Amino acid sequence: MLAIVLGSRGLRDFDSALVPYAAATVLLAFGVTYRYTSWVSGPAARRLFVQGWRTALSRTNLRAAPTALPRLALTYLGFQKFLGARSHARWIAHQLVFWGCLLAVLITFPLTWGWFTFTAASPQGPGYQMRLWGYRLFSFRQDSLLGWSMFHGLDLAAVLVIGGVGYFLWLRTRDRRAVTGQRFGYDFVPLIALLTVSVTGLLLTFSELALHGGGYEFLAILHMVSVVLTLIYLPFGKFFHIVQRPAAVGMQLFKDTARRKGEALACRRCGEPVDTAPAVANLRETMRELELGWDHGAEYCPRCRRVLRGGAYLDQVKRGFR
Amino acid sequence: MLGRTLFIDPGRCIGCQACVSACRECDSHRGTSMIHVDYPDAGHSTAALPTVCMHCEDPVAPCAEVCPAEAILVTADGVVQTADPTRCIGCGNCVGACPFGVPQVDPAQKLQLKCNLCYDRTSAGLAPMCATVCPSGALFYGTLEQLTTERPGVSVVTEFAFGEVVVSTGVAMVAPASHRGPVPGGLPLVEVNGRPA
Ligand code: SF4
Ligand code: SF4
Repeated sequence: MLAIVLGSRGLRDFDSALVPYAAATVLLAFGVTYRYTSWVSGPAARRLFVQGWRTALSRTNLRAAPTALPRLALTYLGFQKFLGARSHARWIAHQLVFWGCLLAVLITFPLTWGWFTFTAASPQGPGYQMRLWGYRLFSFRQDSLLGWSMFHGLDLAAVLVIGGVGYFLWLRTRDRRAVTGQRFGYDFVPLIALLTVSVTGLLLTFSELALHGGGYEFLAILHMVSVVLTLIYLPFGKFFHIVQRPAAVGMQLFKDTARRKGEALACRRCGEPVDTAPAVANLRETMRELELGWDHGAEYCPRCRRVLRGGAYLDQVKRGFR
Repeated sequence: MLGRTLFIDPGRCIGCQACVSACRECDSHRGTSMIHVDYPDAGHSTAALPTVCMHCEDPVAPCAEVCPAEAILVTADGVVQTADPTRCIGCGNCVGACPFGVPQVDPAQKLQLKCNLCYDRTSAGLAPMCATVCPSGALFYGTLEQLTTERPGVSVVTEFAFGEVVVSTGVAMVAPASHRGPVPGGLPLVEVNGRPA
């Protein structure tokens, strides 16, 4: 809220038509904070959170591998390379949704907070000025390419999102892996929400360009309602992965650093690498805290655990079957 | 009480790996098998042990408890699901914490892979792929009654002892009728057929 008041120069640039949007972003901030706090207070997540940040900010680490963090952030969070390993189509669709949403967020959030304003450069001209926090950034002409994309950035975003969401909806009706155990509220509602937001957004432009504003008010309300509900829903359902995902970068850094230092842990029975020693130690602490009472087992590889169990069955349950 | 579930009888397993092939063929995780067949007494006997997810339930499966991303969901019917791909970060905690050695992590996909009792099939009343192809009946899907009419005089165990801890499971193990108490989990180390493990 402080950001809104300051950014809009004491609400001078704040557009009152955007109040519901701005309010939803404030609610969003509260929701995310609440969900995040309850998430990272669980034993496993809390340890991951601490270790991840500790590695990311450790001075020796920053000196030894200064590019590791930005590189991981870009390939992992930006280009989501791991999704390509799951399936190329999924990767493309997710990239469409991701960049579409990011574009939309970058345009709309500052706009609704009154950070950006567009003012006519001169009373006669077709030129506009873009201002950030009241300062003039640059001017452009409405009929230039830049001008066009400034006003149609959201339409572009909507097209990207619709493409990606369309693929995922199709997947959810076809793919056995996706269909198994899917839940309407968790798996479909987010897709439908994105679709509604994008389609109503596009229809607004359509109404403006082709229908001379026909149905504009109704569409505007529909669009607003869908955006506001989506933002409020965000911390509680599937969309929460947007907030959770960066934890993976911390986890990766934590393991990579240990690996670089050669801190691998070998299975106590067969000697095959299990994981990095700090990761196993970390897990054992979590298991102790959860009173699982079996944390020493984490030092054996999964195969040895199975073989040993088979051996125990042979030895103590059904001797023989030679 | 057990409903329809999987019963594993290591005494019947001939180590043919048909279940591994069937699991790999399945539509919901193409190309990777979620079932493991191990030979605990390799070189000395033909003993083999198939391992699927035991669907631990006490009170929540260990894999789900240690997951930092809240990715492993347990459905109301007690099936511990594969990690939700949008949440799983591939950290491997579940791999380390599972006493049965079930989950795997694909480092490239940053994704856990684990048996979900063929949920696409079992939730529709079908048997899991592994049980439909097992030629020796080492993997049997059905109710306890169905099992005991077919195999009189066996006992069925859903408790496993790992040192001091006892884990109870939704998938059962078949044991000789004389067997009492939980099935040993294998740790601490024991001997196999008289030889050190
Ligand atoms: S057997 Fe392992 S993977 Fe299956 S529920 Fe238990 S802990 Fe989880
Ligand atoms: S690998 Fe995935 S499912 Fe397993 S503990 Fe980590 S985040 Fe959870």
